[in-house]
Amino acid sequence: MTYAHGKHAAPTTFLSKYVFSYDHKVIGKQFLWYGIFFLGVGGMMALLIRWTLAFPGEAFPVLGPLLFPHTNGIVPPDTYSMLFTLHGTIMIFFAITPILIGAFGNFCIPLMIGARDMAFPLFNMLSFHIAVLSGAILLGSLFTPLGGAAGGWTSYPTLSTLVGSPGAGQTLWCLSIFVLGVSSTMGAVNYITTVICFRAPGMGYFDMPLTIWGLWLTAILNAIFLPVLGAGVILLTFDRVFGTTFFLAGAAATSGSGDPILFQHVFWIFGHPEVYILILPAWGMVSDFLSFFARKPAFGAKATALSMTTITILSTLVYGHHMFTTQMSPLLTQTFMTLTMTISIPSAILFANWLGTLYKGSIRFHSPMLFSMGVVFVFGLGGLTGLYLGTVSTDLYLHDTYFVVGHFHYTMAASVLLGGYAGTYYWFPKMFGRMMDETLAKIHFWITMIGLNGVFMGMMVVGFAGMHRRLYNPFVYEYLERLIPMNKFITYSALLMGVGQLPFVWNFVYSLYKGKKATANPWEVGTLEWTIPSPPIHYNFEEIPTVKCGPHEFGNPKLTNGRDFQYQTEELVK
Amino acid sequence: MSWLETISPPDIISTNGHLIDSLFLYTSIMACLFFFCVCFGLFGFSWRYSEKRNKVVDYTYGNRKNQLKATLVIGLLVFVLIDLTITWRSNNDMIQEFWNFPQPGEDITKVEVLAQQWMWNFRYAGADGEFNTGDDVLTNHDLHIPVGKKVEFRITSKDVIHSLFFPNARIKVDAMPGRISRMWFEPTKTGIYDIACAEMCGTNHYKMQAKLYVHTQEEFDEWLSEAQHLAKIGNDTENLDNFWGWKWGDK
Repeated sequence: MTYAHGKHAAPTTFLSKYVFSYDHKVIGKQFLWYGIFFLGVGGMMALLIRWTLAFPGEAFPVLGPLLFPHTNGIVPPDTYSMLFTLHGTIMIFFAITPILIGAFGNFCIPLMIGARDMAFPLFNMLSFHIAVLSGAILLGSLFTPLGGAAGGWTSYPTLSTLVGSPGAGQTLWCLSIFVLGVSSTMGAVNYITTVICFRAPGMGYFDMPLTIWGLWLTAILNAIFLPVLGAGVILLTFDRVFGTTFFLAGAAATSGSGDPILFQHVFWIFGHPEVYILILPAWGMVSDFLSFFARKPAFGAKATALSMTTITILSTLVYGHHMFTTQMSPLLTQTFMTLTMTISIPSAILFANWLGTLYKGSIRFHSPMLFSMGVVFVFGLGGLTGLYLGTVSTDLYLHDTYFVVGHFHYTMAASVLLGGYAGTYYWFPKMFGRMMDETLAKIHFWITMIGLNGVFMGMMVVGFAGMHRRLYNPFVYEYLERLIPMNKFITYSALLMGVGQLPFVWNFVYSLYKGKKATANPWEVGTLEWTIPSPPIHYNFEEIPTVKCGPHEFGNPKLTNGRDFQYQTEELVK
Repeated sequence: MSWLETISPPDIISTNGHLIDSLFLYTSIMACLFFFCVCFGLFGFSWRYSEKRNKVVDYTYGNRKNQLKATLVIGLLVFVLIDLTITWRSNNDMIQEFWNFPQPGEDITKVEVLAQQWMWNFRYAGADGEFNTGDDVLTNHDLHIPVGKKVEFRITSKDVIHSLFFPNARIKVDAMPGRISRMWFEPTKTGIYDIACAEMCGTNHYKMQAKLYVHTQEEFDEWLSEAQHLAKIGNDTENLDNFWGWKWGDK
């Protein structure tokens, strides 16, 4: 094995430095900007959706008349379908994936395992450029004659075939997802190889920070399952463009008949691991941050890593619980239910280890720690509400209601968002060499926490009351009219959450230029990225470090050097 | 209407809907129990072991024996209280009730359902007792059934996937093109209730609602015989679109 991708001189022109850069740190930042941009777009869409649900038939204030001049600012029903379709697509594929996996994956993996760059720097650059192409296709689809895709982010056929969506928007959606799949697969292959081959000498798998474990497991899932989704959307594109009938049935299948349910199988074989693809990096970070800021070794770090691995494996075997209402054979539903339930065991161990880390620690409540504890809180709620949906009989009632929406927002949106913020506050000094403001960060945390719990708890309440998903105006149903006040509450909470992001944006932009200069190791943590200056030099490490102890060496009573932690490059004090 | 009533699920009108509510309740109690433990640790430890209150940390990764013990205890608790109990109860409910379809020959109300963008079509056998003949009773948006008797639905879709949802019976099943799905329940209360489409089916998904009229047996018989009479004289047997049904069979 060779570590010598010989050191080239650092690029000097703007293009080679910021656009066509092979440097994993720059690519990580590119993904961060990209993700934050789409987070804003997806967030605006969420507010439009929430407004429509709370105030049906009323114009969206300020922006409404500009966006929808034909209806005096009221969101029209077809646009509404487009909004929730693209909100889901954008948040999952264009906001969370780039931030958690693209930004932190690229930035952290080489730095935390002591490598000079990724295994395939060219792949890495292409992965970002292809992601940009994909984003352009998706946004471009909004300007086609019939508008963007409107069949839900799950895009079930036959609604997503020509039967239900004649416009070019849906085709472009398929292509955009396919292209994004290519980009993510490239990234995933890169991460897997880098972690396997480029760990610094002395670093065993269990000496890797748990962040790397999370990112690595995510990359493995991505590499296995994204191609499945790619195949699915390509077949769907064939149905739309070339007149095949893979997913057509019923009156529309004039030449032979396929099966729309087949797409659901293909989609969820990918779709369920996708949930874990999104959450695993956040779990890894949280497992690390809890130890870093409790100044105590991560309780049962090995068990945590193995639990994450177990969940990764189990996550590939449970996808059928998304399809209980399609009336598959009882044998299958029972199997999927049982397998789904078993995920609760490794999850419980994970939680026990997190709390075990806090126990008898000396907790510093810096912003990354607050956000990590937020993740523990919201993921507790999200995980436990999954029980209702993994159960066949309760799912008969709750399937496709807002209960589901609340549940997956807790797991995929709330936890991942908080995890992403924790990572951003934590690595900002390493990325940009400046500190973010702690007071603003704490304000951001509390407003976001209150807002998101109002939104997602509210969603579960209206869901249990029977309100189903994707309704332009739920109150045409008599039995849902009583839910108007609750929906208003959810919308106000969403607005609060939206406003709560302003301190973050301000903090981020301001700190970028005017923040306090960061020291090499502002958080007093011993992992490899903190042994080098902030921001790191081109090619990270002057000398490839040799790893001599684990990443969570805190509070060792035998330490005599005046610190309460050890760098991973130091011999373990015994 | 009290505040709690505004956010509770609609009245149950079926013989087995309460099973779902009661399993929901059990799951909620377990979820609250475990979530309480998480919160206890999260907030309790935050308070007790903050930097201010606790300067010296316990330097340990947890010893192997204790960890194994903790893992076993937690694993077993979760397995028994959550996994085993919920799976067992849900399986029983499904096998004894929701999958336990009426036997052939049982006296039930039979309805064929065709979903389409954006409307529910219902079909009852005509006076001849056979489905998909010229004298069938066809309704859309309105479903009439008698109380106290099982009703079985056989459901399909003409265009995209829909989902037949009876909030008051706590049950739904997808209507899929190219497939026939089944559902049954036994209404226990007369009245007028909402029927919804639960699967996104296009722009007017939100308008795809129907009404469920649960009658007494006499009222229903009266309605059916009049409808059968009207069907006999009024159905357009030339129009093939009216023959979307199929033989009921003993599936």
